Parts: sequence; structure tokens; C-alpha cells
Amino acid sequence: MRNMQHLSTDRLAALGDEQPTPDEAAHLASCDACTRERGAYRSLVAMAHAEQGAIGLPLTRWDELAGAYRAEVPAPGRSSPSVVAPDVVDIAVRRRASRWPMQAAAGLLLLAGGAMLGRASAGSTLLPAGNVAAVASNTPIGMPTDQTVSDSLFTSVADARAAQQRYELLYQQAAAFLAQHDSTGLGQGNPVAYRSRLAALDRVISTTRDAMRDAPHDPVINGYYLTTLSQREATLRQLNTALPASLRLDSY
Amino acid sequence: MENEQLTVQRAIQGDESAMRALWTRHAPHLDVVVRRLVGRDPDLAADIAQEVWIQIFRALPSFRGDAQFGTWAHRIAVNRTLNALRRTRRLAAVEVDVEDDSASVEPEAERAILAASIEEAAAKLSPGARTVFLLHDVEGYTHEEIAAQLGITAGGSKSQLFKARAKLRLLLAHLIDAPSAALRNTNAEHAAPLY
Repeated sequence: MRNMQHLSTDRLAALGDEQPTPDEAAHLASCDACTRERGAYRSLVAMAHAEQGAIGLPLTRWDELAGAYRAEVPAPGRSSPSVVAPDVVDIAVRRRASRWPMQAAAGLLLLAGGAMLGRASAGSTLLPAGNVAAVASNTPIGMPTDQTVSDSLFTSVADARAAQQRYELLYQQAAAFLAQHDSTGLGQGNPVAYRSRLAALDRVISTTRDAMRDAPHDPVINGYYLTTLSQREATLRQLNTALPASLRLDSY
Repeated sequence: MENEQLTVQRAIQGDESAMRALWTRHAPHLDVVVRRLVGRDPDLAADIAQEVWIQIFRALPSFRGDAQFGTWAHRIAVNRTLNALRRTRRLAAVEVDVEDDSASVEPEAERAILAASIEEAAAKLSPGARTVFLLHDVEGYTHEEIAAQLGITAGGSKSQLFKARAKLRLLLAHLIDAPSAALRNTNAEHAAPLY
């Protein structure tokens, strides 16, 4: 039925994932406009379907989630409560705090912790407590310095943790400062640089996801994974602001 | 490499490290589902996501392992999110609001409100139409399943879907009409960013 009227909008929308009737197929075979529109709807459906595999930063934080779960389900069978941060008291209040910066910060903290653990496991030096200048130095990871790792640096686990937290905070502040002021690394405003970074981050995500299958509880790997996710989202936002309005693509 | 079924078994026994492993592995996917269905209310999305995970942990003993854990948890995420939205009345009068909101986008206005992504475009739909579209075209639910979830008919679900698609087709014309960008990753196992 080649002379039938153009397909209705509803019908074209339906053909995004349905098969045309014989009459409709005959019309589509001879009507470029309807064929083009059907193709557009098929593209839309395909785009929507592709969204299903999207990933993003978790909306939840484990310490809050575990605390809420323990409060709701005080089952005696849980075996390792020490995994959960013990200071979760007012979940609702904490959850209402600014989530995105907290998640990004958490990622950075995990990365910092991971980096420090990595240095230790590689036999390299850890920075001594109080030596801020050393943190900011360019000493390559794995290179020995004149201050070696030693138990004598810390008198207790609490001391070591306190030092770790200080440097994690310093790392976080340095990263935030560099993100705001350092235009030499990423090429601020340059979509090509952002795209390259996104591609690289995707490779890191893929690799760390594979690693998590082998070591799902490893805090360092988890830290890298979460940090990379947060960086990916941040880079996507930067790319979006760098592109002309008509080309903005922050979908993933 | 630990079998996920073993992790689930340990989680069922109350091992919080196993629960955390499940959360770490699946939250980046499941929380996106919640965020997508809730729309632009990050606090509400976060609250619901927490509800979802608690529900997942509570329901773990009922997980039989005849489906992937991720698939099973995905269903819980969708159901729990819809229930929560219903509680907040954001899904009230699903059948009505689409009809009221089904007018096409005016060509003059189209350029001003082009959306950057499906998520952003879907946010411009009425809650009912957005939910039907997301459930069917993104999450892969059938019209019968959607009808049961939302308390509408399968025909009503179809009608709303087609109207939603028609509106999205206009809002996303700049992406849809550039097929090389839009379709780049449609065959990928996991979606990649459209950049």
C-alpha cells in the first residue's frame, strides 16, 4: 500500500522496537520521510537501552548504610561488625550533608590511603608525621629518601593513624587546589584533553573492576575504583562545560 | 576469585564484609537505577538508595541463585524505588498526568530546551511518562510488568510510552540525528559515555 498516508507519530514511535505490518512495511519502502523517522525512533530506543549499563557514583556510603542496616536489623548472626565504622550514630543527619563533595573526598581519601599503602607494600618510604614539605615534594613513588620506614616513627597504632589522616587531608587539599588552579596538566577547557582523560579513566575502571573480582575486599583496589568513578564524573562535567551547548553530551 | 554465590552466602550469614563486597560491586549500577527513576532530587535518591540496599540485605535469604545477583537486586531496586516514589506521591495519577502533558514540543521552543542526555530529557517528561519510558526502554520491563507495577493497563503503558518517545525524539534530536554518536555503543555489553 504505497499510497497510504504517512505513519502517525504514535505508530512511528511504536516502530522504535516493533515490526511494521505488511502495509506499513510497504509504505516505509517507498517513503523516505517515514523511514528516516522510524530510524530516529530506533536510535532513541537504542540509546535508552544503552543507558541500562550505565554506572555512576554510589548514592550510598558504606558506613551509613551499615549503620542503618544494623539499626533496622539487629540480627545476632553478623560476624564481623568491626568492618563497619563504629561511630555511626545519626545517620539521617550525616546523610543529609552535601553528598557529592563527600563522596569525592572519600574517594580522594581512599586514594591517598591506597597510595600510602602502596608505597609501604612496595618497600618505599612513608612520609614522617609533621613533614609537610616532604608531602609536597616530587619524590617519585618507590624512590628511597633519607627517611626510611621504621616502626620507630610511630609509638602506637593511634599515632600512625593520626599521621595517615593528616596526610590524607593534605593530599585532598592539594588535589582540590590543583584541580582549581593548575591548568598545565589536563588542558582546561580543551574537549580533546577531557575526552582523552575519560578514555583513560574508563580503562582504569575496567582494570580495577577486574581486580575487584579477585580481591573484592581490598581497600586499596576499592579506593582506586571509587576514586576513578568520581574523577570520571567530574571530567564528564568539565567536558560538558567545555563543549558548545548544542554538543553537550553528559550521558553515560 | 571468589564466586559471588559464596559472597552472597556469607552475607546471608551476617558477614558484613561480604555485604560490603556486594555493595561495592553493585552500587555503581544499582544506585544509577534509583537516581534515574527518582530524577532530580539527589537527597531523595540517596534516601531511597539506602532503603533499597537495606531491603536487598534483608531479602538475601530469599535469593535462590537461579538468576544473577545483580539481576535479582536490580528488580528490588526498581520495585523499592517505585514504592518509595508512590509514598511521596510522585507517581500519583500516572494515567492522567501523561494525557495532560502529552502535547508535542513546539518547534520554536525545541531549540531552547534541547536536552544533553536521555536522563535530562526524561526529566522534562511528566512523572508517569518518564517512569513508563525508563521502565520499558531503559530497564527492559514489559508493558504487562509496568502495568502491574503502576496500576495501569498494558495498553495505557504503551500509549504513554509512545508519547514519551515522541517528546524525547524532539528533545534529543541533535543526538538522534547524529547516528554515529548516538549508536556508537549500542552493542556494547556495558554502556560507555557518549563522548
